[in-house]
Amino acid sequence: MTSHDVRDMLDLPQEGAARPIKKQKVAAPRPVLKGLAREVQNLSGDNPIAIVPEGSIFKKRRFASRKPAAKWELRPFRNSARSDDSLILRHWRRLDEKRKLPPQPAGENRDSATQTMEGVVGGEEQMEDSGFAKFNVQVELFDYSPEEYESRLRSEDWTKDETDYLMKMVSQFDLRWPIIWDRYEYEPPIPEQAPSEADGNARAIIVAPKTRSMEDLKARYYAVTATMMVIRKPPIKMNSAEFSLHEVMLNFNPEQEKARKIFAENSFLRTKEEAREEESLLLELKRINARSERFSDERRELYARLDAPSSSSHTNNFTSSVGLGQLLQQLMSMDKSKKQRKSIMGGEGISPAGPSGPTQQNPDHRRESSARESISGPSAPNNKKGPPNPAERRQLSKEEEEMYGVSRHERIGTSGPAFRQEKIFKPLLAKSMNQQKIINNVLTELEIPPRLIMPTADVGESYDGLLTSINNLLDCRKVADKLTAEINIARAQKAERERLARESENAGEGGDVGAGAETVVGTGGKGNSGAPGSVNGTTTTTTTGPGPTNSEPRNEEKAGSPTASVKGVAHKRSASVMSAVSDKSAKRQKK
Amino acid sequence: MASQPMNSSMPPNDTYGGDEIQAIILDAGYSSVRAGFAGEDTPKSFFSSSYGVTGNRTIFSDEDIHNPLLPELEIRNPMSKEGIVEDWDAATQLWEHAITSRLIRTKQGDPRKNGLNDVGGKDGVDVDMDAPDEEEKPLEEHPLLITETAWNTSKNREKAIEIAMENWGVPAFWLARNSVMASFAAGKATALVIDLGASTASVICIHDGLILKKSVQKSPLAGNWVSSQIRSLFGSVDPKVEVTPHFMISSKTPVDAGAPAQATYQKFENKITDSFRASEEERVLTEFKESVVQVYPGPGRLHYPHPVNGILNLENVKMSPGRVFEFPDGSNQMWGVDRMRIVEGLFDEKYALPTSEPPITKAQTIPEMVRASVSAVDVDLRPALLANIVVTGGTTLLQGFTDRLNWEISSLFPSARIKITAAGLTSERRFGSWVGGSILGSLGTFHQMWISRKEYEEFGASVVEKRCK
Repeated sequence: MTSHDVRDMLDLPQEGAARPIKKQKVAAPRPVLKGLAREVQNLSGDNPIAIVPEGSIFKKRRFASRKPAAKWELRPFRNSARSDDSLILRHWRRLDEKRKLPPQPAGENRDSATQTMEGVVGGEEQMEDSGFAKFNVQVELFDYSPEEYESRLRSEDWTKDETDYLMKMVSQFDLRWPIIWDRYEYEPPIPEQAPSEADGNARAIIVAPKTRSMEDLKARYYAVTATMMVIRKPPIKMNSAEFSLHEVMLNFNPEQEKARKIFAENSFLRTKEEAREEESLLLELKRINARSERFSDERRELYARLDAPSSSSHTNNFTSSVGLGQLLQQLMSMDKSKKQRKSIMGGEGISPAGPSGPTQQNPDHRRESSARESISGPSAPNNKKGPPNPAERRQLSKEEEEMYGVSRHERIGTSGPAFRQEKIFKPLLAKSMNQQKIINNVLTELEIPPRLIMPTADVGESYDGLLTSINNLLDCRKVADKLTAEINIARAQKAERERLARESENAGEGGDVGAGAETVVGTGGKGNSGAPGSVNGTTTTTTTGPGPTNSEPRNEEKAGSPTASVKGVAHKRSASVMSAVSDKSAKRQKK
Repeated sequence: MASQPMNSSMPPNDTYGGDEIQAIILDAGYSSVRAGFAGEDTPKSFFSSSYGVTGNRTIFSDEDIHNPLLPELEIRNPMSKEGIVEDWDAATQLWEHAITSRLIRTKQGDPRKNGLNDVGGKDGVDVDMDAPDEEEKPLEEHPLLITETAWNTSKNREKAIEIAMENWGVPAFWLARNSVMASFAAGKATALVIDLGASTASVICIHDGLILKKSVQKSPLAGNWVSSQIRSLFGSVDPKVEVTPHFMISSKTPVDAGAPAQATYQKFENKITDSFRASEEERVLTEFKESVVQVYPGPGRLHYPHPVNGILNLENVKMSPGRVFEFPDGSNQMWGVDRMRIVEGLFDEKYALPTSEPPITKAQTIPEMVRASVSAVDVDLRPALLANIVVTGGTTLLQGFTDRLNWEISSLFPSARIKITAAGLTSERRFGSWVGGSILGSLGTFHQMWISRKEYEEFGASVVEKRCK
């Protein structure tokens, strides 16, 4: 009986179109509802009966797959770290096949008690060692023989007995100094009295036990150990760890340690009030520092403002329209920067993080640049690309430099690092190009390469010597050149004078005298500027002779006699030759 | 068997370094004895240190020592007021009882012979007839670790190893300081241990698992002293409070607060000894301590003005509600600020309540002991110690104790960083030294430390002085 039949009976309309869809719906749960009679299932009609299928979601019973329980045994073991080998402790361990099978037949496996007993007996031969024995590490100590003590380790403050005691404590407590110090109770042994002085007076001496500070103990131990290290192994053969240990021990300074501890104790025992006071003082100091910094900033600011717009340039600059325009620009830019500055100062010195743009710089930097502007004119800081931010390259304080191992060297100071080789070229480079060329010529002549092939100290030294002698040579030549030139001048003057004398002898006319006088004046003028004094002297002497007769003939000359003018030209030429010579000498002198 | 997971075959000794050898840890104090196996987190056996003597019978049972019907029951304690053993005979029996009654009851016979494994008629395969020693000693299979106080005498220490070796036949023995054990229980090798037990309070610095002897400070300001303060308070309030222990009460009717008790009292034919009554009264006082007594937690001290608002702390406390305590006889009362005054003397000797005993001195108060202890060690160690303060012992469970201690120590050392480690679990606080012993005894690296029987036989009892530093 289907729902279709029921509908039919009850005269319900047959919905032919809907049926296949319903059938499909029913089709889905159908396979789930197994074991249900078809009729019963169909009774449900459109709504399938809600039946939760029974599934086996639980695991299968554990016992189904149970294996025999793992066997454990109380296994005895030793610990090789112990000083005595007698203690045999027992712990539970899984019984593994290897150990189990050989001593026992398979049939007896069930009996755990026998097994344990057998395990104990069988284990005696090959008892395992505890896995923890390896953690037993001891401090390595240096032993010393009595002879070694006598020769190397004697101390005024320490007896051998007490040193032994100290070393024993150190090994006992594995170098834990607080405990060694805490437990250190050395009692000097009662001295064995020699039979001769076994009287009451000798017995009265009681050695008061010294109270040793931890530093004393450490100092003694380090001294002994450092000495023994050296005896056992000379420092050259030590590896780096040993050597540094040795160094540390050698450099132990008990006084410094004590001072440090006293300081630490004082700071530890500060009361609350003291701590608070110190804190408030530090705060105060910080505030004072900040205030003084601000004050000096403001003062610098004020100075910058008080600066004249242009202190170095002359007023001539501003006579032209271009100069005035520049001045205007400069004033305007200063004005601008001042305004910005004001706003910054208003912000209580907080660095301006907000505004951005090419003109935005650190206040410090701006002040600097504005100061520069005021002196050197508008240098257009706006165009500068990315001014070096002082914050980027922080100046290290002294402590920080020490911490980071920064050290400064005089020889690299300003010019930065350089090859040492360059040192050798320094005397060469100091010369002018000309001289360099000359020196190089000399070197090539001597077949010495300009760059030393093997600049050892000796070679460098002799090279240096060579250079100095070349230099000397050059200097000599210079002097010689100068002297030759002067001699030449003097000769030329002399020749001239002789010629003039000859001519005046020949002519004996006023015009000639005038012309001669003119020449002399000319020479004198030039000579004044640079000719040597001796030459000058000679000219003046020559001038004095004809001097008084000067004025009249000149006028005549201006009136113009052709012969005189021709002669004048000839004279002039000779004078120019002379002046050229004197020019050269003057130049040379300047050099 | 091959399918079994590998991790079950071996305990993970590489991770926590444990290697169990069934060691027994015995931690005996003035008020209780704790015993248990190493590696466990609480002692399996917990007994009162007191024992009863009636006639010539000695009673070690927790039930029987509270039984008023036993004739002429005297309650005694083998420990001295300083927490070290005075009466070795009693202590030996008491400890043996604590171990054998709960841990290894009787030595189990051979399982093939004791009848437990008998199945039907098939009995005894081939029994090796090694007749077990008649006088078998109880602890032959278990190494024993006993804790001791830092001020234990060397005679006592030697006695301890003698008893363990001779009477109990232990294969290996160790004596550990209980303060070191408490710091181990807190997971620290370097610590400042503040231990308030029943009879003694102690402050001890520990560095790398060894006590610093110069730093050992002890005083009687502990649980028993608090009890005497309570008695003093009871005597001074109006009306006086009479402590009537539970066993005296036959029946009671509820009364209003402050009203006299209406109870009928038990009559005993046998004589009730003073020590028995005192021990029973102590139980009431313990209850009072647990539920009423409170330490003023700070800031400041109880009798001083508050550091912030300047009002006397005493007045502040008066405004907060009190606590009601009902005595066994039914009388009950509200305890206001008095509940804090009882223990103020732990920190401030001037305000300790007067007792019949000589008044306490300043050096006996907890803050002064901490100061003395810390200043007796190297200055380089102090910061590490103050950053690792371990609080242990039952009396530290007083409400507000840790807060107050924190305030006191930080006002003593204002520039140091202070960190107090106090176990949250009551059992860990009370059994701190036992738990530490349990940790130590289960460590694999500890095997090399034990004093073996052979060493004892070779060097005698003095070996304990040489080994257990």
